[in-house]
Amino acid sequence: MPMLIRWTGQNAVAAEDPFTAVADETDVPRGDVIVSLQRFQTEGQRLIAEGRKVGVRIEPSEAVEDIAADLPNIAVVALAFPKFLQGQAYSSARILRERYRYQGEVRAVGDVLREQAGFMARCGVNAFEAADGSTPREWGHVIGRFRHVYQRAADGRAPAFEERAS
Amino acid sequence: MKALTGSRLADGEAVFLSDGGWVDRFARAQLFADDDAALAAEAHAKTQITVVVDPYLIDVIEVEGGWAPLSYRERVRAMGPTNKLDHGKQAEGGEEFEVLSHAHGAARSKGRVELIKRK
Amino acid sequence: MYRYDAIDKEILADRVAEFREQCQRRLAGELTEDQFKRLRLMNGLYLQLHAYMLRIAIPYGGLTSGQLRRLAHIARTYDRGYGHFTTRTNLQLHWIKLKDAPDILAELAEVGMHAIQTSGNDIRNITADPLAGINADEADDPRVWVEVLRQWSTFHPEFSFLPRKFKIAVTASPADRAATKIYDIGLRLHRNAAGELGFEMLVGGGLGRTPYLGPTIRQHLPVRHLLSYMQAILRVYNRHGRRDNIWKARIKVLVASLGAEAFAREVEAEWESTDKAAIDLPDTELARIRSAFIAPAFEKLPATSATFDAAKADPAFARFARHNVRPHKVPGYAIVDVSLKKPGETPGDCSSDQMDLIADVAERWSLDEIRVAYEQNLILPHVKLDDVPAVWKALDGAELATPNIGLVSDIIACPGLDYCSLANARAIPIAQAIATRFADPVLAEKVGKLDIKISGCINACGHHHVGAIGILGVDKKGEEFYQVSLGGSGEADASLGQILGPALPAGKVAEAVDQLVDVYLRERQDGERFLDTFRRTGMTPFKEAVYADAH
Repeated sequence: MPMLIRWTGQNAVAAEDPFTAVADETDVPRGDVIVSLQRFQTEGQRLIAEGRKVGVRIEPSEAVEDIAADLPNIAVVALAFPKFLQGQAYSSARILRERYRYQGEVRAVGDVLREQAGFMARCGVNAFEAADGSTPREWGHVIGRFRHVYQRAADGRAPAFEERAS
Repeated sequence: MKALTGSRLADGEAVFLSDGGWVDRFARAQLFADDDAALAAEAHAKTQITVVVDPYLIDVIEVEGGWAPLSYRERVRAMGPTNKLDHGKQAEGGEEFEVLSHAHGAARSKGRVELIKRK
Repeated sequence: MYRYDAIDKEILADRVAEFREQCQRRLAGELTEDQFKRLRLMNGLYLQLHAYMLRIAIPYGGLTSGQLRRLAHIARTYDRGYGHFTTRTNLQLHWIKLKDAPDILAELAEVGMHAIQTSGNDIRNITADPLAGINADEADDPRVWVEVLRQWSTFHPEFSFLPRKFKIAVTASPADRAATKIYDIGLRLHRNAAGELGFEMLVGGGLGRTPYLGPTIRQHLPVRHLLSYMQAILRVYNRHGRRDNIWKARIKVLVASLGAEAFAREVEAEWESTDKAAIDLPDTELARIRSAFIAPAFEKLPATSATFDAAKADPAFARFARHNVRPHKVPGYAIVDVSLKKPGETPGDCSSDQMDLIADVAERWSLDEIRVAYEQNLILPHVKLDDVPAVWKALDGAELATPNIGLVSDIIACPGLDYCSLANARAIPIAQAIATRFADPVLAEKVGKLDIKISGCINACGHHHVGAIGILGVDKKGEEFYQVSLGGSGEADASLGQILGPALPAGKVAEAVDQLVDVYLRERQDGERFLDTFRRTGMTPFKEAVYADAH
């Protein structure tokens, strides 16, 4: 069972994961669930109406624009990294945070490795299903590696040119 | 006939399996007449991730004076760059480089082709 | 030249610490090669035939003497006392050990240099016109924008795992010495009819297996919107570029498959949804970067120099002056080319001793500046005409004064199968054989401008598609064969070469070049270059000459 690591903006902490990831062919169990985009589009309203928290899994080739209207009711957007070098999710994360101002959990799932933690966090990912057995402390260390950043992204860090101006 | 080669992790030098260890001279490479033994050696080498990177089998042929890799690319790895004869393994001189330089032609080793496809 | 401030240096220091940790984890087996390979590529460290290769970034090809001396020292201490300048104006070291890499990066960081993103599926070193800041016909100094883009692209969190590598070039001159049409993004600075400074955006150029010349997707982008627009282009690519096949993964394939207009619409739509003010650089930062590139303090000198003119009495110096010295926009100054193409040597290679000498010469006589040209030569950009004879003498003593810039023996060649894991055939011996045939400076001068470009494989690092004579190494049943093409150009008149005929064996290539040159000398009219003659006559006379005995 992969461990969920949460990034609070200051610290990386271990977290209980109340969500169950449900495959398309499986019946939806009780409680909070994460389903595929396709399933969300057919059953999402019903699941939410049942009082659960619902999350949507977005594959690299899927568009977060397709759930834009539903974001206020989506508790988690799980961005898939089938292989860690498939980087589409970095764009998805930034669009969620910067364009749609999504406030829920953006979670990285799949081939999620700690050496990419910094990039993910900067793009607005705040939860990680770490696939390499690394600890929250190790994740916090990687995320905090750079004292400065050059460009603005989704994490609110001031870019170097703002530091210079102040 | 085959030999097993890879790159040494620490410095990238081309190395060859020789009775359970890794040597940097093709002349001392272990030769495999038996494909099963060769494949088993390759499989084991792939687990030695702190020693060698991307091990693969190469075809070798008998030439005047000894054995040589079939493929030109592997002969360059076994000898060194042809534009600077005082760089690479060849700089240390020796009969083995005479042998290697007598070999000619031939396609890429199947092992290398498979490695590329896998990637 | 931009000097790293405290923030830039801390970023480098943090990167060195990060890479040191990553190397330790790899050496201890905590990272697999698959996991580590991406990380080391993002630090410019390749595993090649004989050793690791480190590719050090030289943004806009600009170096100070202090930086060049540090490169000399690193090559001496950690490598075999030489380096290789590439067609992307980077420096490669071919004999590196993984365990030394973090220390090398630390030494580079001390002089504001690094190997960040010189490999991997990220935004690579950005190149510019090597005469940036010196050209009389520039709309602006492209180096300002290269530095803007360098900072923006460094560790960009959204664009570090692209479908494939991403290369950008910037020019500000109609002459386009940065080959912007063969880049993923080519940026052409110009002023519009209203006098406003903007970029013409070319997207989707590239060489390799499927060469393309990049179409213009936007004629004029006001310069203040550069970063937000770049974000839009990169985001469309990151989301929609193909990842199923590495030969179809560059942006050129996406642009070609959508069509330039449809691609442009995607980008414009993405750009419209962008909060531009959050991404674009504030004027204060732009001004700060721009101030790093103000012209050095030139002396007020007469346009001609008696010392220079008198020195031309020596025919060897006169020849050097004809080919390796170019006019400067400031009266009394000149641009001096340093040839790394002595016939018989490895093109683009430079020993540590030579680097130290060039650094000394630059410090003394070129206002402490050196530029790297994409032709794999170096440039001393600000030499007083009065000092050119002394510069020549110093360079000549170190075998750096071959008077062949732009001539037939000024060959571009990748390292090829002598070093590179990707190669099918060797490129260096072919270059050496050709250059040796044309070593006679009288003959080379007679032939005139002729760009020969050699790649050891289809990845085209030697840019063979845009050579007037292009040579591509192929592996035919284990023997080295070479496909020759004619009529390519990477300059403002950009064109892709056409294949001459069936591939030739290694032993026949230099002879074929001889035959092609003979045809040119026979057919040429009125000051035509080789490329011009070919464009006029077409392939027929050239093909006949090389393949005559085939019938």
